[in-house]
Amino acid sequence: MILLTYLLLSGLTTGSLYALIALGIVVVNKATGVINFAHGELFMFSGFVAWMLHVQMGVPYLPSLLVAVAFGFALGVMTNLIAFRPLKNANIISLVLATIGIAFMLRGTARVIWGGKGDYLPFPPITSPEPVMIGDIMVIPQQLAVLAGALVIMAAFAAFFRLTRAGKMMQATADNAKAATLVGIRIDRIYMLSFGTGAAIAAAAAVLMAPLTLLYPDMGFSFFIKGFAAAVLGGLTSLPGAVLGGISIGIIEALAGGYIHSSFIEVSAFIVIMFVLVVRPTGLLGSSGLRRV
Amino acid sequence: MALKQSLRTGLAGLVMMGAALQATQAQVPGVTADTIKIGSFAALTGPGYLYGKLPMNGIEVVFDQVNAAGGINGRKLELVREDDRCDPAAAIGAVKKLIYEDKVFAIIGGGCSNATFAAREALDEAKIPMIVMASVHDGITMPISPTIFSVATTSTIESQAQLDFAIAQGAKRIAVISMRDAWGRARYNPLIEAFQKKGIKPVLDEEMAPDANDATAQVLRLKAANADAVLIVLYPKPAAIFMRDAQKLGFKPLAVGQTGIADPAAFEDQVGSPGATATFRTISMVRYTPEDPAVDKWRKAIEAKFPGDRLSVFNLFGIGAAQVMVEGLKRAGPDLTREKLVAALNGLKDFQTDVYPGGITCSETDHRCNKNPAWIAKEPGKPVRVLSVTKPE
Repeated sequence: MILLTYLLLSGLTTGSLYALIALGIVVVNKATGVINFAHGELFMFSGFVAWMLHVQMGVPYLPSLLVAVAFGFALGVMTNLIAFRPLKNANIISLVLATIGIAFMLRGTARVIWGGKGDYLPFPPITSPEPVMIGDIMVIPQQLAVLAGALVIMAAFAAFFRLTRAGKMMQATADNAKAATLVGIRIDRIYMLSFGTGAAIAAAAAVLMAPLTLLYPDMGFSFFIKGFAAAVLGGLTSLPGAVLGGISIGIIEALAGGYIHSSFIEVSAFIVIMFVLVVRPTGLLGSSGLRRV
Repeated sequence: MALKQSLRTGLAGLVMMGAALQATQAQVPGVTADTIKIGSFAALTGPGYLYGKLPMNGIEVVFDQVNAAGGINGRKLELVREDDRCDPAAAIGAVKKLIYEDKVFAIIGGGCSNATFAAREALDEAKIPMIVMASVHDGITMPISPTIFSVATTSTIESQAQLDFAIAQGAKRIAVISMRDAWGRARYNPLIEAFQKKGIKPVLDEEMAPDANDATAQVLRLKAANADAVLIVLYPKPAAIFMRDAQKLGFKPLAVGQTGIADPAAFEDQVGSPGATATFRTISMVRYTPEDPAVDKWRKAIEAKFPGDRLSVFNLFGIGAAQVMVEGLKRAGPDLTREKLVAALNGLKDFQTDVYPGGITCSETDHRCNKNPAWIAKEPGKPVRVLSVTKPE
């Protein structure tokens, strides 16, 4: 029973991080119909900005987080201006290549700026690094902080989409861009807001995750793949689906590693995704409408 | 009149001899009357820069000292750097640029194993002498390449040393945790062979991905198997996650690393959990820690040449490799050719440098010239210290 509890807890923590990355991917895809392949690099870059502020300049954690989120938002807006807006009427391959181009630019820039500071940069935990006992279970407080932080961010964005005017306009644009234009919504601004919001979520995830994962310029792609897998599993247009997909992948990986073998950790989630998509091609909670990706 | 004629003839002869000498030198790429151009490739950017930029800084301070003392047979050494970003394709490009565009005479380089291994064909094709400074992949030197020499401990030597060390420390239930990419395989396969040679089996054989963010499952399985030593064939990132989660779950085996985790002080910071690295031991290719007074001379040289840098173990990799190259160039003599340099390097027997744990010995049949890994550790709150030097059987 203790083994199962440990595995579920570790799966939940890792899964909530995948969920945050997936949320950012889905926010952009839902509004624009495009997968932002630079999402992992936006995540990485914002993490390094927080590291620079917090570790190098001594700025406290919370202001570092907020500045990194604002910076992430700005990077997302820039991605929209460079890679999406000029090409929004072009074919999907051009859009994908443009976001991949942004990813390489960000990775190259990060290598130049931070590539000579250490191989893997540690980010101090926001809580005590000493493990604590909760019942019979030993937990690293940072894991709980990550879990709590991820839940807060998910709740905040759920509230944003349900309760704010901007959120509702994003939803409306996602549902029907032409109709949104007809009722006076400036969809270019909504696209910009979506890219910015998606990148801001990535930034928040990066700052939460950094103390657990270490920072390095090439980290973006592997996180993007996990987040993308979570988004696909949950349904590329469903925000609750992104959360469900992320947590499912985290838990599947942990259980496969614990009960079968560690060599199954990387492949187990993808095997499950494959079966889910065969049965339900739109993902667990995805809409059945066709969208370009 | 006769004297004048003789003088003219003599002068003409001298001019012709000079021209002939110049022509001979011009045929040797990278060598002029007063310079020898040495190339270097490895990562200058990205996480692998530790095994690229820093050893190259070490090479440069050795070259500066040689040049200040008049050079080698009157020729000053020049270093040309190329960034391979730890990327195999980029390494091939970097090597070709050094050989065919920069026209270097020889190379000291190779940081990331996969990248250097990929470049081997281009190096062999050009028959350019090379000293490998940090890459450990067996395939770089085995089967033997006539012109590639390694002063890095190779993966087979390290894997065997990991097992020997664990046994020497009294471990009875030895487990393995490894990455299974090309880098990991190059170490994992010889490690399993070393187990087989000793007639034992790992009590558990676990895997971790290079980008893993959690090792709870692996730690729980190793703990259940009651392993008293874990041989770690991982990069610093997954290794740090593993050590952190081992600490979290109260699992404290002897943890045996390799030169992929060559800086225990940085590793302690990466793990970030107090006391988690108390039982961690790892291999160093060099016998001194950066704090050791024995390397004061090099500390001062690095800090003077690269303000803001502190001497690191990675600088020492480059210093040792450069000293071996300098010795080879000296032995090759003033009439320098690549063939003479290769012959000189093949003749090195127990050559002592300022950094390696043992003498450097190369031969025509074995270019793995450094076979003496040193064991280092950093107990919490204390400096890194050298524990012992292993000579694998």
